[in-house]
Amino acid sequence: MAYRSYLMVCAGTGCVANQSMKIKEKLETEIRKKGLQEEVAVVTTGCNGFCAVGPLMVVQPDGIFYQLLKETDIPYIVEEHFIKGRPVKELMFTPPKEKTPIPKLSDIPFFADQTPIVLRNRGVINPENIDDYIARGGYEAIAKVLTSMTPEQVIQEIKTSGLRGRGGGGFPTGIKWETCRNIPADKHYIICNADEGDPGAFMDRSTVESDPHAVIEGMLIGGYAIGSSEGYVYIRNEYPIALDRLQTAIQHAREYGLLGTNILDKGFDFEIKIARGAGAFVCGESTALMASIEGRPGEPRAKYVHTVEKGLWDKPTCLNNVETWANVPQIILRGAEWFSSIGTGDVSGDPWGGSKGTKVFSLSGKVNNTGLIEVPMGITLRKIIFDIGGGIKDGKKFKAVQTGGPSGGFIPESLLDLPVDYEELTKVGSMMGSGGMVVADENNCMVDMAKYFLSFTQTESCGKCVPCREGTKRMLDILEKITEGEGTEEDLVLLEELSNVVVESSLCALGGSAPNPVLTTLKYFREEYEAHVKDKKCPGHACRKLITYTIDPHVCVDKGHGCHVCAKNCPDGAILGETKQVHTIDVEKCGKCGICYDVCKFDAISVE
Amino acid sequence: MVTINIDGRTVEVPEDTTILKAADQAGVWIPTMCHSEYFEPYGVCRLCSVEVVRGKRSRIVTACNYPIRNGMTIHTNSERVKWLRKVIMEMLISRWPNVKVVKDLAERLGIEKSRFTSLERDESENACILCGMCVNMCNDVVKANVLGFAHTGIERKVVRPFDEKTDQCIVCGSCAHVCPTGHIKMVLEDYRGKKSEFTLGPKTPIYVPTLQAVPRVPVIDAESCIHFQTGGCENCAKVCEPNAINYKMEDEIVEIDVGQVLITTGFDLFDASPMAQYGYGRLDNVYSSLEFESILNSTGPTGGNIVMKNGKEPRAVGIIHCIGSRDTNHHAYCSRVCCMYALKFAHLVRDRTDAAIYQFYIDMRAFGKGYEEFYNRLLDEGVTMIRGKAAEIVEGAWNENGDPSLKIRCEDTLIGKFREIPVDMVVLCNAMEPRKDSDAIRRLFSISKSPDGFFLERHPKLDPTSTATEGVFIAGCSQGPKDIPDTVAQASSAAARILSLISKGEVEIEPVRAMVQDEYCSGCKICNNMCPYGAIEFIEEKKISHVNEALCKGCGTCVAACPSGAMTGNGFTDEQILAELEGLML
Repeated sequence: MAYRSYLMVCAGTGCVANQSMKIKEKLETEIRKKGLQEEVAVVTTGCNGFCAVGPLMVVQPDGIFYQLLKETDIPYIVEEHFIKGRPVKELMFTPPKEKTPIPKLSDIPFFADQTPIVLRNRGVINPENIDDYIARGGYEAIAKVLTSMTPEQVIQEIKTSGLRGRGGGGFPTGIKWETCRNIPADKHYIICNADEGDPGAFMDRSTVESDPHAVIEGMLIGGYAIGSSEGYVYIRNEYPIALDRLQTAIQHAREYGLLGTNILDKGFDFEIKIARGAGAFVCGESTALMASIEGRPGEPRAKYVHTVEKGLWDKPTCLNNVETWANVPQIILRGAEWFSSIGTGDVSGDPWGGSKGTKVFSLSGKVNNTGLIEVPMGITLRKIIFDIGGGIKDGKKFKAVQTGGPSGGFIPESLLDLPVDYEELTKVGSMMGSGGMVVADENNCMVDMAKYFLSFTQTESCGKCVPCREGTKRMLDILEKITEGEGTEEDLVLLEELSNVVVESSLCALGGSAPNPVLTTLKYFREEYEAHVKDKKCPGHACRKLITYTIDPHVCVDKGHGCHVCAKNCPDGAILGETKQVHTIDVEKCGKCGICYDVCKFDAISVE
Repeated sequence: MVTINIDGRTVEVPEDTTILKAADQAGVWIPTMCHSEYFEPYGVCRLCSVEVVRGKRSRIVTACNYPIRNGMTIHTNSERVKWLRKVIMEMLISRWPNVKVVKDLAERLGIEKSRFTSLERDESENACILCGMCVNMCNDVVKANVLGFAHTGIERKVVRPFDEKTDQCIVCGSCAHVCPTGHIKMVLEDYRGKKSEFTLGPKTPIYVPTLQAVPRVPVIDAESCIHFQTGGCENCAKVCEPNAINYKMEDEIVEIDVGQVLITTGFDLFDASPMAQYGYGRLDNVYSSLEFESILNSTGPTGGNIVMKNGKEPRAVGIIHCIGSRDTNHHAYCSRVCCMYALKFAHLVRDRTDAAIYQFYIDMRAFGKGYEEFYNRLLDEGVTMIRGKAAEIVEGAWNENGDPSLKIRCEDTLIGKFREIPVDMVVLCNAMEPRKDSDAIRRLFSISKSPDGFFLERHPKLDPTSTATEGVFIAGCSQGPKDIPDTVAQASSAAARILSLISKGEVEIEPVRAMVQDEYCSGCKICNNMCPYGAIEFIEEKKISHVNEALCKGCGTCVAACPSGAMTGNGFTDEQILAELEGLML
């Protein structure tokens, strides 16, 4: 049955948390009330990506984009848009500093500059409906593979495409598949790593939430190519929606005969099992992940014998990340040449010679348009942050961007024209990682940022090897000391030395990359560290022990007439003064929370 | 074999050997702290980090688990390696400054102090350094899977499940054995192992059953062996060069056809623990005679030294005769051997220690060849003989200083006084008694026992080695308490009896025996169970009973029991008797 309009309501984790399911219900009631149920259909989709403006909805086929919806807006929208045919301008996206709203999704710069391959179905299909996926060409790739390609041809196709592991390592996928296939064994396993643990990153979660079948199809193709009949998806239990949709998708695929025995009547058997993780960051490391699936503690082991030789239960195992698997069906369908035409370098000779295809990033931090984006490899950081991301929030100045999750490095403004590419990011001390991208503005203290990310990796260290267990804690102690104004110049030297030891001698990549935020900030923002150590000042005004808030008495009385708002809001009762009088801050009591600074409308309060 | 270069030395090792092993072969020392030959390399201390150069690439790897490849160049002491080790070591000593293995290694690496201040500093000498040896031992070798790590990062620690005591632990002690700091200790709460029959204290799971065992080979005790509890370990198989360890060996039942049997099942030692007055099993340093014998043995637990539980030599030893024998509460008979072995004990104690010796006896029975002479020699050696059975053993003070010891209370019937004698050690001369399962043996061979419970001979004077069952002989303490010369004599006699039958090749039997008249037998089987000699068998095909003439003694029990009159004496059928009577009456 065809409808006049389809309302694609985003049901990604971010929007659901902002009550998008209530909005969907309200839409349905309102549409029924107006008797439009035969004409307008409400569809829940996976994450749309533009999380900053959620809850959101797209009206198809027109492509009208509504943002920041509230339940109370719904009757108005239904009345105006669907009865009177007048799209509601007030709820459309307006770029910062501009006045004219952009009605269509495709015209919004956030979407216009993206190249969706992995996320091509986001916001377009209902992830819980396999027919939606099939209607968009889903499972065509596995059909093509099973009917017209040998496993070797599939591997060759993936090799030619130049696809590299999207989980962070950037290992050429085709080579991994080929090695795994060539190890003789009675059983081969394939694993999809959906244990995304980075704070502020949600690429894999959103991919599974918005297009779970793409992952399943990718694994099917991988299973066929490698000669495996059993796959695992290792997904963390903290992703309830993703887990639920994946289970539904597997169930549907099984019902359609796309999983199980004799798939598409071609004698190919493949089954996918779900292994749920308890949320340890280290379980994203392949050997720890396999240990966890086997029921042992999630601790990594030395990888001098690769997992493609001896992985899960000592069988050859091919592990790829969600995003890598989701790329596979498109490569098969549209051809390796098409895929390798996107991106940087040349992979025809050297598989490490370039970065091909697209990469999904979750853009967060101090940018206007936070959310999930998919961009071609080779795009500059500047384009991502200032065009797609819409620049820095509140018109502040850009300071640094961290790529690659909590163990990625910070990249300063001078390197913003860097093309996003595995090798380029590594060269400057950061990494592609799984695709986290956190933007810091002038108000962020880089020492504090480094400390924050290190405290994450330090608590998530499994504690198995000495450098990671002891070293990250000692580093954190030194950073703690510096942010409290007790650091010395020797501490900086020791911190740098220790960071290098942890990188060089840790057992797994967690320890090997955990010092990156520290090392890059020491490299690019050393003057901030020196300010903390020598002048006992925090230039970003974030380290509470090193800052003081003061009230300019003239501004307070002359401009603000002693409005007393600051005193009312001070949680410590540290602001003295009566209305219409000069206000002062009791330094002893002041907890340095900065509330007064934010509430003062007259800029009478300054921080030093 | 591949050729590699370690610190300028060229060595040839098999491919896939670890760098650590290759370095060992080359005589190059690499520090380690978590490595053990018992289990797979763990690779967590990172102190064995070395620099591997292949072509133009140089990388840091851990020597304990990195496999050797042809043409590798390894630097175990480059500046980069030294620097890494130094910083890692500094982290370790800042956290565990007083642990000996950490201190020693730091000293060997020339590191005096750490630049770090650890908030988790643990001053203990026996702190856990998280090397994981115990965990690997428990999981990979023993396979008991008790120990594991809990918590993440700096809070990591070794725990048992839920950090509680668990029966999952088989108390093998492997973890304590490998722990390099002494953090894990074994605490004796309840000894779960098996106590050996002939030695004091626990025995290892692999042992030689008795000192005189033939063949003298070790056996594995399946109850205490780790392998039989968890399927793990197998360390003995790994070290046994002739490859003689077989975990699959099982008890076998072998059937042998024989014509005669000699029963020499021996005796059990009377258990003195029910006689609470002597405190056996309750008081330290009160031993049974067999335990004391193992103390005296040069291959025994003390190497033949007569020492108390605390390792000191006793100042006085009391030897108490007739424990459980000549006692109407237990065994009325005299155990015959105790007097003489008690004298032997006294002699050896006198020989090996300076202890005073007291013998408590009822009567001295030194009746064998040379025995009385031995008794007189003992008297000359200064052994104090007290006539009177000891009444009680109590804990008491040796003298006014309160030095703890034991006291033996008794009545000295020669002087007519009660005495209390302080001693450090007491040896009880336990009675010999029939084996606990002797009744089962008895039933098996259809032989009888005398009132004392020992097997009954056919005639106490004329036939002391054979039994009422033809072809079954007895010898030694299964027949009654006796010493070694008597046992040898009786056993030799029994052997001669058996040989005489074998050499003759045929057996003479008494003519008087039972016989079944087949035509009258109803096959009721009543006689089958009646026969005390097991001589009647049932022939299934004919459905009648049949008498084995070689076993039948002609006792007539079956004849009396047969309801149909089919069973009769051979040559004594009713018709024959009646015919004889008729002849007499004529």
